[in-house]
Amino acid sequence: MAAPLVLVVLAAVTVRAALYRSSLAAFIAERVEVASPLNAWKRVVEGLALLDLGVSPYSGAVFHETPLIIYLFHFLIEYAELVFMITDVLTAVALYLAIQDFNKVVFKKQKLLIELDKYAPDVAELIQTPMEMHYIPLKVALFYLLNPYTVMSCVAKSTCAINNSVIAFFILATIKGSAFLSAVFLALATYQSLYPLTLFAPALLYLLQRQFIPIKLKSKSFWLYTMQYASLYLCSLVVIICLSFFLLNSWDFIPAVYGFILSVPDLTPNIGLFWYFFAEMFEHFSLFFVCVFQINVFFYTIPLAIKLKEHPVFFMFVQLAIISIFKSYPTVGDVALYMAFLPVWSHLYRFLRNIFILSCVLLFCSFLFPVVWHLWIYAGSANSNFYYAITLTFNIGQILLISDYFYAFLRREYYLTHGLHLTRQDGTEAMLVLK
Amino acid sequence: MAAAVPGVSWARGAVAVLLLLLGCCGPELAGGLQDQAEQFFRSGHTNNWAVLVCTSRFWFNYRHVANTLSVYRSVKRLGIPDSHIVLMLADDMACNPRNPKPATVFSHKNMELNVYGDDVEVDYRSYEVTVENFLRVLTGRIPPSTPRSKRLLSDDRSNILIYMTGHGGNGFLKFQDSEEITNVELADAFEQMWQKRRYNELLFIIDTCQGASMYERFYSPNIMALASSQVGEDSLSHQPDLAIGVHLMDRYTFYVLEFLEEIHPASQTNMNDLFQVCPKSLCVSTPGHRTDLFQRDPQNVLITDFFGSVRKVEITTETVSLDREVAGFESKFPEEELATEPLKYAEQLPVAQIIHQKPKPKDWHPPGGFILGLWALIIMVFFKTYGIKHMKHVF
Repeated sequence: MAAPLVLVVLAAVTVRAALYRSSLAAFIAERVEVASPLNAWKRVVEGLALLDLGVSPYSGAVFHETPLIIYLFHFLIEYAELVFMITDVLTAVALYLAIQDFNKVVFKKQKLLIELDKYAPDVAELIQTPMEMHYIPLKVALFYLLNPYTVMSCVAKSTCAINNSVIAFFILATIKGSAFLSAVFLALATYQSLYPLTLFAPALLYLLQRQFIPIKLKSKSFWLYTMQYASLYLCSLVVIICLSFFLLNSWDFIPAVYGFILSVPDLTPNIGLFWYFFAEMFEHFSLFFVCVFQINVFFYTIPLAIKLKEHPVFFMFVQLAIISIFKSYPTVGDVALYMAFLPVWSHLYRFLRNIFILSCVLLFCSFLFPVVWHLWIYAGSANSNFYYAITLTFNIGQILLISDYFYAFLRREYYLTHGLHLTRQDGTEAMLVLK
Repeated sequence: MAAAVPGVSWARGAVAVLLLLLGCCGPELAGGLQDQAEQFFRSGHTNNWAVLVCTSRFWFNYRHVANTLSVYRSVKRLGIPDSHIVLMLADDMACNPRNPKPATVFSHKNMELNVYGDDVEVDYRSYEVTVENFLRVLTGRIPPSTPRSKRLLSDDRSNILIYMTGHGGNGFLKFQDSEEITNVELADAFEQMWQKRRYNELLFIIDTCQGASMYERFYSPNIMALASSQVGEDSLSHQPDLAIGVHLMDRYTFYVLEFLEEIHPASQTNMNDLFQVCPKSLCVSTPGHRTDLFQRDPQNVLITDFFGSVRKVEITTETVSLDREVAGFESKFPEEELATEPLKYAEQLPVAQIIHQKPKPKDWHPPGGFILGLWALIIMVFFKTYGIKHMKHVF
């Protein structure tokens, strides 16, 4: 499968190189949907310029990147375009390898459950076959590399690409089963942007499954493994943060990066839900609502962990989607990461109920974003309510997409164990609903 | 002899009649001069101040800011300079993100009149418009660090115009959606101003719901008050603009603005005309006024006494020589106090050095400890994952 992957990579690199040379690069780089205050390229350049002038880059609320990014780009700033293209390629390759391994795991588990007779007799059409699963890793790499969102994010040189690649490596390490590497990459991902902290739960569940440790609260081995993984993760996080201290000999980066992510002071419009609310709010309520909004991101982890403890990779997908919808400064690069996983669940297609409407909604909103922005900012005939309406619709589309996949996944699992033709007690056909 | 006597008596009678006539005309002539003198010294003020307050924030209260700015515009046009105007706006409508026409505040629909303009000077803005700051401005109890533009530096010959607009009720006016000023506080503030001789005459205009309740409690002399509605009535807004999406002005101030647009610095229009502005048919509410505390007849009070800054100029034809006094001052200086050596500045900018030096390439390098630590960590992770046995391939 190497050759088609190489072809896809070459095509993606060509598209990006072509766009870099065109005049669209400047236009895309300044779009608010692609570049947020956290990951805009011009802020990276500004921060590095401040450093050359002898001033801390964190003074003045311009630069919100972590010190490791400073270190990375200090030497590579002339090759920035190459760096971002290589990052995208690395992400795609990591996702490819991860999904390849994941398919093997799924197939093995399926075989085990069939031999143990856990499946109902009439579900033959629901079982995944190696034939149809053969091209899924390639499709994942394709979906990531040629997604217009990813391309725009790369052309804008938004450091979201680097965040995505760290998360992709974390997923690869988790699926390969290496707890140490997984903890290290998760620590790096959390260090970069705070929200991947919630990916701790699905990674832990996956590793426990791999080690065949049952997930019971009273089991000693469960707690032992959890403590091991958690301590690996926390230690690497602490080590990385302490190392970052030594770059500039100051702890300035903590309020500038994490304080900024959590307290949302910058209310530039983006595709997220925070800016409009906080632009309109009384100052004495804003602390309460910031807490509410931030808790909203972390809140779904425990219920999803309870429901999806047998399916940690799907849990990881849903968690990634929740992060990219509810985080404080989302961009389309975050959306592209979880959309890359959609081919993995392509067997759920027959159970998806609203896929046509949702894909239309997402497509139209993506086109309407620049239109309404132009109308608001340049023509002056719209106002922020229009842009926020498109933002809301886009986010509702994403939420409905995730809940549709969630429903389809659970429905398939139910059918697998209970048979395709469900009947009620009086013999009429029954319908599964998500309560 | 008998013929001469009646002639003399006729002449005497004629002289008596003439004297009588002159006697009657005399007071008239003198009265004419007195009238002219009275016209000249009609009002006892020598300077004008204006305190214009908009107390509400949020975008849907656009009309209150437009009200205040239109009074500001009229007052500036009629001559009161910015240094004598204290403008307090509780929110910024011109640069509000919801304003589809940024940097403008319109008072007429279809954007006929932009009252924001290029030279608006707002003295108290946004959260600085509080009851405490307003009362401090009026009474003069201001911390010493307050800049001049935020002070009401009036004296006992000042005529002050105070205009307030916002949301109000029976006996109070709401500031910033979180506090209120009552009519009792306002009356007491005016009494403090009177006792500290901070005004000559004061015109108080208020455009809020139940505005007349705000002037009920005044008890200081020389105050005239106008309000846009009586107690129990609401002041209504004028017209919405569909492009901007909010109501642009309140009715009372809209018609006051139209009235003031006709006034120019030399107008002789008096206060009675201002009382007639906005009858119930146009305003729906009943505007009220209070003149019992005012010592002059409103008929004799010109609009420009409060809204304009009409200076009284006395032209004299005698020359005043200033030379002698200057010479007198010079002789007071003793010779030995003059500086003997020329003053010069210290060498602060070594210009020659600056223009001839080459730019130092100041580059930042990450500290060595950091690089070492980072690569050590990376190598440790690598070998932990892949095992030490690969080390032999490295060496």
